Amino acid sequence: MAETPRVAAVGVGYSTTGRKTGLTSRKLAIQACGAAMADAGVDGTDVDGIAVLWNPAGPAPPGLDEVKALDLAQMMGYVPVNWHVDGVGPAYIGPALQAIAAIRAGFCHTCVTVRVINQRLSGTELKAGADATPSTGDEQFRRPFGQLLPLQAIAAMPMQRHMAVYGTTEEQFAQHAVTQRYHASLNDDAIFRDPLSVDDFLAMPYLSTPLRILDCDLPVDSGSAVIYTTEERARDLAQKPVFVESAAFSGTGYMAFEIEDMVKNAPFHTGRHLWERTDLTPADVDCAQLYDGFSIITFQWLEGLGFCGPGESGPFVEAGNTRLGGSLPLNTDGGACNVGRRHGTNFCIESVRQIRGQCGPRQVPDANVAVWANAVGPFGGAVLMVGE
Amino acid sequence: MDTLVKPPMPVPDALTEFFWEGVRAHKLMILRCRNCGHFIHYPRPVCERCLSEDLAPEEVSGRATLYSYTITMKPWHPFWVDKVPYVLATVELPEQEGLKMLTNLVECPHDAVEVGMPLEVTFREVGEGLTLPFFKPAGAV
Repeated sequence: MAETPRVAAVGVGYSTTGRKTGLTSRKLAIQACGAAMADAGVDGTDVDGIAVLWNPAGPAPPGLDEVKALDLAQMMGYVPVNWHVDGVGPAYIGPALQAIAAIRAGFCHTCVTVRVINQRLSGTELKAGADATPSTGDEQFRRPFGQLLPLQAIAAMPMQRHMAVYGTTEEQFAQHAVTQRYHASLNDDAIFRDPLSVDDFLAMPYLSTPLRILDCDLPVDSGSAVIYTTEERARDLAQKPVFVESAAFSGTGYMAFEIEDMVKNAPFHTGRHLWERTDLTPADVDCAQLYDGFSIITFQWLEGLGFCGPGESGPFVEAGNTRLGGSLPLNTDGGACNVGRRHGTNFCIESVRQIRGQCGPRQVPDANVAVWANAVGPFGGAVLMVGE
Repeated sequence: MDTLVKPPMPVPDALTEFFWEGVRAHKLMILRCRNCGHFIHYPRPVCERCLSEDLAPEEVSGRATLYSYTITMKPWHPFWVDKVPYVLATVELPEQEGLKMLTNLVECPHDAVEVGMPLEVTFREVGEGLTLPFFKPAGAV
């Protein structure tokens, strides 16, 4: 039996990204795959695996086209493929870890991973869909009480719990948003780039206490793709390889965030296993790219991955550690709050670009170790990446 | 109030019908394992602790502590247009560590809501044909 190959990320790319682009889901996927292939310097015949997560991150409006792994593989010239998987969630961490596992296992050698979110019919249409969501299964214990949007159970209540248990403050969440916006100001691809102050943030109204709109990521239409391959093949491609040093993927419950421990859940479980699988430690990490679907999620990952102690994320952020130039530059692309919702893919792509040294004014000097993380609550995962 | 706007109506199934029957009778019922005594909420067809499938609903005390909450300011469903802001809450029941449920906190000024405060169940008719178990500060009249 062959030795388990070391896996590298070799190509990254985005589609056109924005609010209501009018592009079909397939078009977003094709653009992202094409960009990642061009980045890596591969063509379709080099690819023999595909892992896709498509959904509109909300109720699907009628007529929205879907992205299916084999359909996309056919269109992009990958077939025949040796590995194909659809719909693995909870977000980009799903297809990423499917690809890494499949390459390590020898099922395929080069796997394209794709996350597409198409929100072209967001707003009124999606709200109408949400209104019609039936209160079946666990939803019968949620919707009749007014638990209607993810931001309530996934974010607002965990924030409140974190504040009550640890003394975290709204100013600390504000400081996090300000730092991320500063990083976004250095990223030409970010959508929100205007300066933001703590006072600006605190002056915004609550959506559901203690959460404000800038605690939330920015819904966009987006396709994102990353190509993984073996170390051996990576050596012959266009970019400096970025290797998967360690990875972990945790599930601690089902989609009922209010039933979980709200402040210690999947990130803590993930963190234990991520560090067990490497000789590196949190002190070796040059930058962290931690999912910010909501601001509290980033705080939970800071603690879960051991960059600070349980409950210490607020003071850690407030002290400036997470700003470029600080001890742990965090979400250096500006985070999904500013670059738009890629459901985790941007954190992988930013890790790769930082280790390659391609980040221009937001480059972390000599970055060679990065960690990215995705999802929270009952499920989550993280990947530690290194250069040579 | 626009009486034409109905709340999201729970759709009970064979596993959950007991909960809504209980609520209509102003009893808070939680599924419990008859083999090991473990409470199970949200309802599941097996006990996660001992894997017994011999489960039965049991009335609980109706006491709770506030685990966390959020005061929702926007009506994300037409039923809440005249009800915002409302206090969506997760409460922990004293019958078992970590036994939680989602509810609304009522009869409490919003500036007096505090994580950890003791609560007790109160049943409210919120719409035609729908009674919900809400919670209020313990000892409130």
